[in-house]
Amino acid sequence: MKTAQEMKANSVALIDGQPWLIQKAEFTKSGRNSAIVKMKLKNLLSGSSTETVYKADDKLEPVILDRVDVTYSYYSEPNYVFMDNEFNQYELNKDDLESVMPYIVDGMTDVCEAVFFEGKVVSVDLPTTIVRQITYTEGSARGDTSGKVMKPAKLSNGTEIKVADFCNIDDWIEIDTRTGEYKSRAKAPV
Amino acid sequence: MRPTWDIFCSVVDNYGDIGVTWRLARQLVAEHKVEVRLWVDDLGAFVRLCPEADTQATQQLLQGVEIRQWPAPWQPVEPADVVIEAFACQLPAAYVAAMAARPAKVLWLNLEYLSAEEWVEGCHGLPSLQSNGLQKFFFFPGFTAGSGGLLREPELLAQRQAFQADSAAREAFLCGIGVEPVAGARLISLFAYENKALAGWLDALAADSQPTQLLVPEGRILADLQTWLGDGPLPVGAAQQRGQLHIQVLPFIQQDQYDRLLWCCDLNAVRGEDSFVRAQWAGRPLLWHIYQQTENVHLEKLEAFLALYKEGLSPAASEALADFWRAWNNGEAMADSWQRLLGSWPEQAEHAEDWCLARASQTDLATTLVQFYLNWL
Repeated sequence: MKTAQEMKANSVALIDGQPWLIQKAEFTKSGRNSAIVKMKLKNLLSGSSTETVYKADDKLEPVILDRVDVTYSYYSEPNYVFMDNEFNQYELNKDDLESVMPYIVDGMTDVCEAVFFEGKVVSVDLPTTIVRQITYTEGSARGDTSGKVMKPAKLSNGTEIKVADFCNIDDWIEIDTRTGEYKSRAKAPV
Repeated sequence: MRPTWDIFCSVVDNYGDIGVTWRLARQLVAEHKVEVRLWVDDLGAFVRLCPEADTQATQQLLQGVEIRQWPAPWQPVEPADVVIEAFACQLPAAYVAAMAARPAKVLWLNLEYLSAEEWVEGCHGLPSLQSNGLQKFFFFPGFTAGSGGLLREPELLAQRQAFQADSAAREAFLCGIGVEPVAGARLISLFAYENKALAGWLDALAADSQPTQLLVPEGRILADLQTWLGDGPLPVGAAQQRGQLHIQVLPFIQQDQYDRLLWCCDLNAVRGEDSFVRAQWAGRPLLWHIYQQTENVHLEKLEAFLALYKEGLSPAASEALADFWRAWNNGEAMADSWQRLLGSWPEQAEHAEDWCLARASQTDLATTLVQFYLNWL
């Protein structure tokens, strides 16, 4: 068993005999140092979706999933197509990819993990750290170089993210995909 | 058959848990005609709020509520139609198993902490899928229409307004708790956790041109008050004067009396959850000492409430209020923000009443709970 807090997006929990894919998991501190986790779940048997809340220390039964390394290939409406080393293709729609959609961009080379339940691909996990390019941000308003002052920036797919005040358009940055937070400036991927 | 409700209260610290659940239980019984068992694991805390309670009784009927001592180990009982775990307390495993085995389905609610943060509306009323077939939901009190609302008895505001319009009732009440009003003084109640900012505020009050009468019910702030006075222990009833500041220690009073104390005062310093809400129903300016959490999470919650509360205030009044509250919660100097707050006092007083009336136009927590149950049926 794992606590709700330990269950991350793209893992599967067995609840009342039903496998539920956690498409999104948001941790929030409630009161007196306790916390809750709000999840978006998709039933892998019926396809139905629901939102649910747990106390952070509620216990859930994780399902061990098969994983295969893949890279993003192309978009073929309405699916995003990923490919493994043996050129097998896996198609997933926007809903299946909810937690990683903000970071899917054309030409991305990240080695991802396709997640399988009973032989069927159900989602894709990104690496913990990815590198993306800023396509728009305002200039530095305060000349801050500490990295503590943040400002909004846009990625090529329109995703908005808070970055350090000293970041500029065309800069490459590291993002933590678990939190969606800016980590640092980065070199352009080779 | 009237619906049965079980409310579980684990007293973690202070009186917020038991204060809220006792108030809720009484309101459910009195207004919604349901049968309520209130399970309390610390009757010693309960007896402070309800002195007629017997700390040794495993079961007693008080004001229509069946008070049950939460036994350890748990003894089997038939679960109620509606089960509330207050403030995310952990129900006994055997009780949860009995809920699952009950032929008639049970509505299981986790009544959460009060917060003004935006995420509350997105989580209020959501299910919490269980592996035992039980239907559990999270219920969030709150200040906006998308939340579960606030505890408020239907006659509360009318009672409060009548009381505030009746100077004889006010004087009689104060006299009854041993307070003799100081002529021309502003009246302030002080109920707070330990607070480093207290000394600075008291300095300012003592040096003010207008006298202040500070009424301090027994509680955690007394040690800081005693240190500032530098004059030994402060027993109940003790009165001291420093400059323009008249201080009196009051006994720990029951909820209904505390309401009246809040209604009497020009400003109420309150803490936690229960007294915080009651001070809002008083329609008078308030100062909130929020429960401190790790990583300063409480300061985000403070700001979330301030953002809501400040709506409608002029920029100067809004800034003075926010600075005053932040200083109090960060243990900082209070003198400047207090003076600025006084500078906008008429506006602050009017705003407190407006805020109260706006919150009162929303459905109260007990009613939203009952409505939730009826919709679920």
